[in-house]
Amino acid sequence: MRDSTVAIDISARSAYAERLKRAWYRFSRSKLSLLGLLMVASIIFIAIFAPVVTPYPEHAGAFVDFGNTMHPPSLEHPFGTDAMGRDILTRCFFAFRGALIMGIVVLAIVVPIGTAVGLFGGYFEGKWFSTIVMRVTDVFLAIPPLVLALAIAALLKPTLTNSMIAVCISWWPWYARLVYGMTVSVRNEPFVKAVELTGMNRFKIMFSEILPNHLGPILTKMTLDMGWVILTGASLSFVGLGEQPPTPALGTMVSDGAKYLPTYWWISVFPALMIVIIILSFNLLGDGIREMLTSGE
Amino acid sequence: MKRVFLTGKFLAFALIMIAVFCFGQSESIIRATEDWPTYIDPAVGSDFSDCIAIVNLYDSLVFPNADGSVGPHLATHWDVTPDGLTWTFYLRQGVKFHSGNELTAEDVVFSVERLLTMGEGFAYMFEPFIDEVVALDPYTVQFKMKKPYGPFLSTLVRLYILEKDLVLQHLDSGPYGEFGDYGRKWLLEHDAGSGPYMVEEVKMEEYVLTKKFDDWWGGWEPNAPEYFKEMATADPVTIRTLVAKKELEITDELQPMESYEAMAKMPGVEVVRFVPGGMNLNLMLHTRKPPTDDVHFRRALAYAVDYKTIANIIFPGSLVARGPVPQTLPGHDSSIQPWEFNLDKAREELKKSKYYGQLDEYPLTLSWCAEVPEEEKIALMLQANFARIGVKLEITKKPFGSMIADAQNMETTPNCSLVFVAAHYMEAGGMLTTRYHSQSTGTWEQCEWLLNPEIDQMIEDALSTIDTEERFNKYHAIQQKLVELCPTIWLIDRAETRAYQASYVSWFVADLVHQGKKIALPLGYGLYAHDMKVFPEKK
Repeated sequence: MRDSTVAIDISARSAYAERLKRAWYRFSRSKLSLLGLLMVASIIFIAIFAPVVTPYPEHAGAFVDFGNTMHPPSLEHPFGTDAMGRDILTRCFFAFRGALIMGIVVLAIVVPIGTAVGLFGGYFEGKWFSTIVMRVTDVFLAIPPLVLALAIAALLKPTLTNSMIAVCISWWPWYARLVYGMTVSVRNEPFVKAVELTGMNRFKIMFSEILPNHLGPILTKMTLDMGWVILTGASLSFVGLGEQPPTPALGTMVSDGAKYLPTYWWISVFPALMIVIIILSFNLLGDGIREMLTSGE
Repeated sequence: MKRVFLTGKFLAFALIMIAVFCFGQSESIIRATEDWPTYIDPAVGSDFSDCIAIVNLYDSLVFPNADGSVGPHLATHWDVTPDGLTWTFYLRQGVKFHSGNELTAEDVVFSVERLLTMGEGFAYMFEPFIDEVVALDPYTVQFKMKKPYGPFLSTLVRLYILEKDLVLQHLDSGPYGEFGDYGRKWLLEHDAGSGPYMVEEVKMEEYVLTKKFDDWWGGWEPNAPEYFKEMATADPVTIRTLVAKKELEITDELQPMESYEAMAKMPGVEVVRFVPGGMNLNLMLHTRKPPTDDVHFRRALAYAVDYKTIANIIFPGSLVARGPVPQTLPGHDSSIQPWEFNLDKAREELKKSKYYGQLDEYPLTLSWCAEVPEEEKIALMLQANFARIGVKLEITKKPFGSMIADAQNMETTPNCSLVFVAAHYMEAGGMLTTRYHSQSTGTWEQCEWLLNPEIDQMIEDALSTIDTEERFNKYHAIQQKLVELCPTIWLIDRAETRAYQASYVSWFVADLVHQGKKIALPLGYGLYAHDMKVFPEKK
């Protein structure tokens, strides 16, 4: 029952190493999971080293070259050039940065907040505090995340930071609801009751006894959510509420190219393909992690 | 059995009605696109979209000719006293409104009073000058002026006549005393005009559909369009699809050049390009907001613009601007030289600016109009060029409606606004008034917030000058003063590009282009549907 507690026990290092080894075995059994991991690693690598790996790094900034517009894909420009004469491959790779920052920052904010809210709500279920917090959560859950994010982003100045704030506000309730459900299901288990009898501090019970049981599902959801958060961010930038020019953003690039469809298809299609690849990579990785965590139980 | 028979009859009738309706519309219709909002009330509307609808729905006392002059229309002739203070117009008899009632001098008086009281749209042209309008008899109307008004006759193409009785029947509550809202609410979706077309249906944010007015006083040529529809869409993919399916006869002028190229390859479609009588693209600089409140800073920006690329590549066929007034507009000062693209000079000017050395603290904000995709290219080019002299430019894409809202307030107006402006009538004075007189601050046509009493006085003085040559000299002096103040970076005198269905539509503007003639029509008159022809059988 308290597998995770055992795993993080410092006194059992060899057992921990053994568990890691088994986990990796379970993960690596699926070729798709490995592919996902490889793709995610590549995306992160490209994002970090974009100025080195892209052919025309200056095209990601304030740059126009009207003598070089709308070139179809070629060896020189594998994804073609856009209406400003900029290399689309370069801009796609630089756009990975914004996309990853969006995913990482949003999850880094919403997961702790959602988890804390769910944990408190679940542990104190039936109390007024829990009722209020969870009804507020329900109100947020009633509105689709994209619609809520669009509404919030439209009220703020269009920047990457503000679009991250908008996505955060629309995303935390999902974690709160997940953790709440799991906390309610374990709060009356004998191991919780036992530590309560010892007089242990309630916060300590929540964070050191109950929370470790939820880490697996939270981690899985995080990995699967990464792609969707990035997609929401791209949707915001598609309607002009995200990163502002000249900083490349995948959603903006798709939107810019849409007006030239179908003649100059490459302007929209390649950035759209990049969005698909990012989401696919994180979903494959997420599936692998879920497989790893669930088949071990 | 009887029920089946009746149902069958009903269905057949419905099908015939649908067929008649659909066929009727596709048979003889001109559909054109322009961006929304479209205010069809002549006392409210004034932009391109409004003008297209208004010129088709309403008549004016005089009518513009393609060469920039004006001729008789509702007024058959007129007199003016030598001091320029009394104008008498003799109205055409037997002109009918769409309701069937006759147009008289009382309607002219009512229309002028309504325009001046509401104070919107084109009211600015008349308000400082018209003292009183009197109906001397049913067919004679007299304007008494506060002071002489040189371009008065040219401005009268913007004075549209409404039917007094019809408007009075549709008053709502409003701020104008006994006149309530002056019919404003009703006129948003209806017309009270005598023009060649009448409103059939207005669907807000979608289209204005008008139908031929068979009893129009000017008569009709065969093959004139039965319907004229102004559609509110500017989305390039939609436009191209509509043109390809022959469901759009004349496109707007806002499409990306790549779109026009694609449409030119479609069978039967022709792309026409011409420099109309007075439309320019401006980079308006907020003269009351740092750092664009510094004249040296503004001049530095003016030197950092690649004008030739804009005129030759982004808006091909356009002319590099020479000052605030388009070169095709009477009254332009031809001695003004265009700004040059010279980054060294830009840096020199920047050094003279009080913001030199602290440029990082003053990033510039720029808004461009979402409905004109080509403006993004200019915005990005400016961003790249300004960066080369150390000026940071933050670009925001804004729907035109948001730009209008931003322009209403000094705080919300950005440092730079990319805006097309067109002359409301064919003389420099009109453009100078809408662009630089203090009365136009708070509108999208003046995002500069110039508020310069000297310029105001110079404009008013010029407009009051009856002698044309003297008046034009005064316009020249204003233009030179403006170049010195540099409140705006005048980019190009824009060539208007539109695609149209040449295989089954005869469009007088295209004919003039083919004949190599000058086109100096005021805003909206290029889409005067009465003078077009449709040949549905050639589709």
